[in-house]
Amino acid sequence: MITGTPVVETRGLVKRYGDHLAVAGVDLLVGPGEIYGLVGPNGAGKTTTMKILATLLAPSAGEAYVTGIPVGGDPLEVRRRIGYMPDFYGVYDDLRVWEYLDFFARCYGVPANRRGPMINELLEIVGLTDKRDGYVESMSRGMRQRLCLAHTLVHDPALLILDEPASGLDPRARVELREILRELRSMGKTILISSHILPELGEMCTGVAIIDRGRVLRSGSIDEIERSLRATALLRVDLLGDEAAVTAAREWLGTDPRIADVLGGTTGSDGAVRIEASFDGPPEAQADLLRGMVGAGHRVVGFSQATSDLEEIFLKVTGQSDEEAAA
Amino acid sequence: MTASDMAYARPPRASAAREFGSSVVTIMVKELRSRMRGRRAFIVLTVYLAILALITYGVYVIVAPNARGITGGGFGGGGFGGQANASALIGQSIFTLLSIFQLILISFIAPAFTAGQISVEREKQTLDLLISTPMRPSAIVIGKLAAALAFVVLMIVAAIPITAIVLMYGGASVDDIIRQQLVLLATALVLGAIGLFYSALLKRTQAATVLTYVTLLALTLGTAMLFIFWTVVANQTEDGFGAGPQKRAPELLMYMNPGIAMLDVVSNTEPGGFGGISGMLAQLRGNAPNLNGEVECQGNVCRPVDQFGNPVDGVAESGSGYWWPRISLTFVAVAAVLTLAATRLVIPAGMRWAFRRPNRPIGPAPAPALSGDVADESAPTIVELNQESER
Repeated sequence: MITGTPVVETRGLVKRYGDHLAVAGVDLLVGPGEIYGLVGPNGAGKTTTMKILATLLAPSAGEAYVTGIPVGGDPLEVRRRIGYMPDFYGVYDDLRVWEYLDFFARCYGVPANRRGPMINELLEIVGLTDKRDGYVESMSRGMRQRLCLAHTLVHDPALLILDEPASGLDPRARVELREILRELRSMGKTILISSHILPELGEMCTGVAIIDRGRVLRSGSIDEIERSLRATALLRVDLLGDEAAVTAAREWLGTDPRIADVLGGTTGSDGAVRIEASFDGPPEAQADLLRGMVGAGHRVVGFSQATSDLEEIFLKVTGQSDEEAAA
Repeated sequence: MTASDMAYARPPRASAAREFGSSVVTIMVKELRSRMRGRRAFIVLTVYLAILALITYGVYVIVAPNARGITGGGFGGGGFGGQANASALIGQSIFTLLSIFQLILISFIAPAFTAGQISVEREKQTLDLLISTPMRPSAIVIGKLAAALAFVVLMIVAAIPITAIVLMYGGASVDDIIRQQLVLLATALVLGAIGLFYSALLKRTQAATVLTYVTLLALTLGTAMLFIFWTVVANQTEDGFGAGPQKRAPELLMYMNPGIAMLDVVSNTEPGGFGGISGMLAQLRGNAPNLNGEVECQGNVCRPVDQFGNPVDGVAESGSGYWWPRISLTFVAVAAVLTLAATRLVIPAGMRWAFRRPNRPIGPAPAPALSGDVADESAPTIVELNQESER
């Protein structure tokens, strides 16, 4: 539960480009100190949502608030409270690193006596201290990404809006970025971050919203989403016995109303036969099912749920929306 | 009140005017940092001054012997003040050519500095970062214009010592130099604003640059040619040539022409101007009886005369100094309008209304604090208090 004023709140946010609905009624609620992920395929509406929150786009309908301030009502005040990093951005090549940060610090009205120490502090956080007097021109993509991240922090905003910060980074730079974000979170920043890859966010986000075609399909913590999807889990049952015994077990499973369909019948190396069944029920029901199965005399040696990794969850959720769209 | 609410409190802020001023300075500092770095600015300024110095020297070399011949010989003046007139003629020649060349150079340089300023930020995808800062869009645009003009002003002012050589010869006074400077500055301002406007309007710098120069040509050569064409056509519809009042194109056509302003300034020099420019300018106003008419000038005052040299009645006397103040003021006004237009183009579409009244929430009421906030509900947050006090 969120205490205090939510840092980000949108209600029925809609953005229309002609006939195309880029954002079709997005509701978000992000509390202080959260790292909240927006996940969805490219073109899902993540960037548009973030641009609306960054006061760079006016929504066609709906309301958006940052720390309780209406985004359309007082954009300048909202801008003082957010640090925004767009998905595609350039840097001023012909400035030195410290000049670049100094420029943005001035843009945000940071007083002169605070700028110097603050720039050094930020450079330390993003690990660019030794590049302080170098030209932005000479920096690698990962360094520019970190510099841009540092620029979002010059005015000590409550909320960071980071649009695909990890895209185009090599694995090492990704790890570094993740470390920086953790540190920022420990400093009390609220972070709204987007990605088209769920696993990238999974480890560090306190909450995610999976977005596709402008709508939030699922939202909550990753565990919650996983649990809600586990309702239709794929059970793997390993059986001992000959073909008749396996067929009997399959028939027994088929009589259960919570089992949608039974697949497989592959023989493993240890002689056990594995069948798979999609099961609609919570873990307690799974336990009941197993007890019933053993009680009915089936020789079960393995009973497990196919572990759904984050990638699978993501595909499942967005796949469902594809089916809905097709229907 | 929770700690998080404290964090959202609005810090005390400087007045809107001070904030605006410091935003303009911020942009200027950044622009000048990248512009003045390296040798480019140094080389541009040096070449500019070298060209002007060469022109000055060239004019002196060509005009000096002739001037002494004309004024020193038995041609009207005789021995009376011949030397002084020769000197004045040299001074006038230098002043005239220097002013015109400076105008041409500034006309080409000023738009080049501004035509890319916003479109380059779009091309390099830095504009979003810039406009998502709390600086007012107008401060960004004005800061960019000021930064570009700062260098142009440096060029204009740096050329004053060269122009001041004419004071040694006479023929042009300090007043003339001041007028020349004003016209140059007004021209730089309006051309800079035109470049900035196109830069904000168009996505590509190339297109903005081309359009700016097309506009420059239209304002100078274009208006002059249109004026002549219009006048000729208007007079051809008359039955007889020279019968009835001479018709002219409206003089408003010339109100955006920097060339006319500068010709006006150089024709203003004592005595009687240089090369019959005063007469030409008088014709523009229709003070000459026809296009082939003569104008007689005494000092700063020119009177139209007919072909026999008699003053033509019913037409106001025209002093020089008619055009440049009008044109300069027009430039300043147009520059202001274009800067305003550029500001509107920089604000994201659909957000314009939100910038009209500063720092006042005019959207829907702020969202009430949501669930889990029961303990705090009796005390309003600082945010709410601030919003309350601003209403």
